[in-house]
Amino acid sequence: MLPFAPYVIKSLWRHRARTILTVSGAAVAIFVFCFVGSVQEGMDRLTNSEDAKQTLIVFQENRFCPASSRLPEDYVRRIRELPGVKEVVPIQVWTNNCRASLDIVVFNGAPPTKLRQTRDLKLLSGSWEDFGARRDAALIGKAVAQRRKLSVGDQFTIGDLSVKVAGVFASPIAAEENIIFTSLEFMQLRRGQSLAGLVTQLEVALDPNTDPDALAKTIDQTLRAGPVATTTRRKGAFQASTLADLVDLIGFAHWLGFACIGLVLSLVATTTVMSVQDRIKEHAVLQTLGLRPARVFRLVVVESVIMCTIGGLAGTTIAIAILAWSGLSVGAEGVTIAFRPSWTLASIGIGISLSVGVAAGVIPALQAARTQIVTALRA
Amino acid sequence: MSLVEIRGLSKSFRKGDETISPLVDVDLDIEQGDFVSLMGPSGTGKSTLLNLIAGIDRPIAGTIKVAGTEVTSKSRGQLADWRAANLGYIFQTHNLIPVLTAYENVELPALLLPLSRSDRHKRVLTALEAVNLLDRANHYPRQLSGGQEQRVGIARAIVANPTIVVADEPTGSLDAETSEQIQVLLGRLNHELGMTMLLVTHDPNVASIAGRKLRLDRGRIIELPKSDSIRKIGAAG
Repeated sequence: MLPFAPYVIKSLWRHRARTILTVSGAAVAIFVFCFVGSVQEGMDRLTNSEDAKQTLIVFQENRFCPASSRLPEDYVRRIRELPGVKEVVPIQVWTNNCRASLDIVVFNGAPPTKLRQTRDLKLLSGSWEDFGARRDAALIGKAVAQRRKLSVGDQFTIGDLSVKVAGVFASPIAAEENIIFTSLEFMQLRRGQSLAGLVTQLEVALDPNTDPDALAKTIDQTLRAGPVATTTRRKGAFQASTLADLVDLIGFAHWLGFACIGLVLSLVATTTVMSVQDRIKEHAVLQTLGLRPARVFRLVVVESVIMCTIGGLAGTTIAIAILAWSGLSVGAEGVTIAFRPSWTLASIGIGISLSVGVAAGVIPALQAARTQIVTALRA
Repeated sequence: MSLVEIRGLSKSFRKGDETISPLVDVDLDIEQGDFVSLMGPSGTGKSTLLNLIAGIDRPIAGTIKVAGTEVTSKSRGQLADWRAANLGYIFQTHNLIPVLTAYENVELPALLLPLSRSDRHKRVLTALEAVNLLDRANHYPRQLSGGQEQRVGIARAIVANPTIVVADEPTGSLDAETSEQIQVLLGRLNHELGMTMLLVTHDPNVASIAGRKLRLDRGRIIELPKSDSIRKIGAAG
């Protein structure tokens, strides 16, 4: 096929406005597909990661918003005594918006020493020492820092909370990069609040080979006699439940992704059909010169694949660049889903472009290959 | 054995309620190196016969052998391969690919042959030189005159060094002067390169450049007597 490359490329360039519009359309559709895909990937990471399966969240029973869950901090000691529990981290959560939002800011107040022990946070700037030294110090996830243009030393205020950036961190769990960590004490004693001795939730790290669901039941039974009843779930289940409304929306967006693929398919197929119909006689001439019908078929499919792949590459590249640059996330009730670029997403975007290119080219290619030579030459 | 052997060839097709039979039990032999013209009024089946020999149309009965290969029994794909190696086709309306240069148009059939890049390049240059268009190699069809376009079409037909060249009214869309130039060129290719040619035309003047003249009349071929009036086009080139 390579010797025929000039013919294929020049044929595409023959109706350049049409080709460029088709490629642009494919790029936009694949861009949307990748964006929707990144939301789904974020949701999957949030609910199916190892951390989500092997960590438990203890929340106040029948409470869904972090503002309304209040557990005694003393529960840490009682849970810690149970077999299979490796560590318990008390967390006071504050968010600027309990509803679904694209710019949600979530503060997690936790003891700095426990935070350092239990979380795999990598400081990109600042230091743990500075974080431990000041009561209003904050470690901010790199996505928040990127979005809000914050760096070490900056002082900022959101709602009632005014903190100073002691460090910017990266985390293997993308959603964590949308969190601002402060000390538990700072969050409990913030202005206008009297939350000393109370926390929003408890995060329970398990020993290896511990059954999370059995331990969750044990925790709830143990604390049933306490001042506040609890609901304990795996972190993934807790997050999925908290984001239930968004999960439905994301499920719907999944179909939007498929619609985008359908759009590319029909767009490229239409352009290729038009291109073939414009060249019925030309394909008859090529076959008269000695091109096999199968070769004519391949030439048309290659044209379709080139249009789709260029559009797909452009759409995927733009989507990945924006995802990497923007640090976007969506969240509700203090839980966030991070939109992150990934090689898997890029491969899927390009793979789908190639496949759609082939599929879109088949019918017009058959049309070209089955041209009745004599009839077409007389046209 | 003749280069082209046609035996019992018939072709008919339906046009509304009517069945038209332009060729009925046709027999014909064309020898290697012949320059044959096939005349007849419009609609008598000249182009149909040429298309059948070229393997782009199918007869309802009969056989066509070209250089020992039975064209009528091959599949579409096999016929394409056969045309690439053995047949040059000159169209009435040039049918050049508009997005390709003259060089690239001539190169197209050569791309299908097992040739190295340098051999292919030489073949294309030789073909363009034969039609005296080397200086227009990088021009696109829209930048060429009608006569030049037809010469590119001729170069494209001969680049693969085919067994036979068929031409369907090659001067039909040209003015008298350009038509004369093309006739001279075709004659030269036959005389100097020894190419076997079958030329379809309705113009007796054009037909007179051929050494052998046939007439298609009511589905049958009539051999016209050789006359002294055959033009010595070889010398004119």
